[in-house]
Amino acid sequence: MRPRALAWLLLGPVAVWNLVFFMLPVAVMVGRSFDAHGLSLVHYRNLFTTGLYVSVMLTTFETSVLVTAGCLLLGYPVAYLLATSGPRARTVMLVLVLLPYWLDYIVRSYSWMVLLGRMGLVNRALIDLGVVPEPLPILYTRWSVTVGMIQILLPLTVLTLYSAMLRIDQGLLHAAAAHGASPSASFRRVFFPLSLPGVYGACLLTFVTSLGFYITPALLGGRKDTMISQLIVTVSTDMLDWSLASAVSVVLLVVSLLIVVVYNRFFSIDRLWGGSA
Amino acid sequence: MRPARAVQVGLTALILLYLLFPVIVVLAISFSSATYLRFPPPGLSLRWYAKLAASDEWLQAFALTLQVGAVTTLFSTLLGVPAAFGLVRLELRAKALLNGLLLMALITPAVIRALGSYLFFAPLGLVNSVVGLACAHTVSALPYLVINVVASLKGFDLAIERAAVVHGASPLTAIRRITLPIIAPGILVGAIFAFLSSAQELLVSIYLMGTVRKPLAVKMWEGVRVAVDPTIAAASTGVIVMAVLAFATASVLHRRVRRATAWDASLPEAAERSPGRV
Repeated sequence: MRPRALAWLLLGPVAVWNLVFFMLPVAVMVGRSFDAHGLSLVHYRNLFTTGLYVSVMLTTFETSVLVTAGCLLLGYPVAYLLATSGPRARTVMLVLVLLPYWLDYIVRSYSWMVLLGRMGLVNRALIDLGVVPEPLPILYTRWSVTVGMIQILLPLTVLTLYSAMLRIDQGLLHAAAAHGASPSASFRRVFFPLSLPGVYGACLLTFVTSLGFYITPALLGGRKDTMISQLIVTVSTDMLDWSLASAVSVVLLVVSLLIVVVYNRFFSIDRLWGGSA
Repeated sequence: MRPARAVQVGLTALILLYLLFPVIVVLAISFSSATYLRFPPPGLSLRWYAKLAASDEWLQAFALTLQVGAVTTLFSTLLGVPAAFGLVRLELRAKALLNGLLLMALITPAVIRALGSYLFFAPLGLVNSVVGLACAHTVSALPYLVINVVASLKGFDLAIERAAVVHGASPLTAIRRITLPIIAPGILVGAIFAFLSSAQELLVSIYLMGTVRKPLAVKMWEGVRVAVDPTIAAASTGVIVMAVLAFATASVLHRRVRRATAWDASLPEAAERSPGRV
């Protein structure tokens, strides 16, 4: 068979499937966002002039920045230990990181509701230790959302960092040691700079994923912590304003894609998932 | 151990505890004897599991999730395996395009896929159907399958397949009788991830199924929002058990594929080819 025909046969079905069940629905949604008895930008104008919608977008951005920073701070040491451990310890740690990764977001957020609630474990411990006289309002705040989201996204951050660290040439570290660098100097001057592409990749993936979060902010956040996905759901299913919901979705989509495109200009996106082809 | 190393290990242990604690909490609460949510539970019982098993609604939700997941897994496998062959074995410029398409489907927030699918499916009468929902779930399940099969194919020694062809097998027979059995564990791991991804889709299911028939994720979502007793924890534990079983199966399968192909990759390195869900 000619290579061209074979390519169509093998890759065609997936391409067509994604076109029909992904690209077309998104295209319909984009079309709907400009639709108000004729072509119009009225939904976008409403979106950017209504204080509530703008503040939801800002909240989404702030929360995502907080979550990304937290994931990086907690994820880097774990990934570093993973990359520098022996095979047995590495396997155990990876299993521990991956186990929660495949657990439903709903389940994990629910668990935080139990822990952070008024009479949850955290509040009871604080009272028993005499730190506070009465339960602190931890749940339904920006902090409970952040704590829950970091827990959910951390495995993703760790794995992205770890796979980038594995690609660092160990010979360079040995060379640094052989030339008299202390372990901390060799980390600072050799390992850390070489791990930066992984850091950028992990930040990108974590940030873009958190922008679209729905379950965790809906369960752990208060009214003031509403994120953009919740806004889209409310506007579409409660207010039944499908055009406005589409406009909000287009904004979210454009921002997500812009981040990925900008990243791709500076670092190859293929590296993110192991350069699978 | 150097002191710096000890600090690192201690820090990592704390972070891992933070990761795993929610899992432990849900497991413990599901066996609670109390009607309220408290950790640690005041006593142990199996009453929430009994309640689940006696509830038609929960059993139907479970059955619906199995149906949609099975169809999604079937679609993803039929589409993903040939695509993986194409991505690994052909030199094409279209490869970058297809990779981009798969990556986009993975990165696009669930709410966008949900809203778009609804607006597109509703006029076509594809809402409220198991197959319709599976079609939408396949979009986000496919990348998991492709990534895992691509990895197995890259580890596969092409010489074995060539040997079969040299000895008179047609290329298709060689693939069917030699290559596919050897990479089968990789396909299965991808299929398991695809199933889990479908089982966990909340928003797409809400938009495409309405409130008439509820898959497990939707039923759990509704339960959590009224969160009054530990039934949800018991249902969640069911999900945890499912995930752990899938994970254990994947681990065993990967060991087999490694032995079969002398491919030097351990399970965790393979599992790490499962990028994020939204």
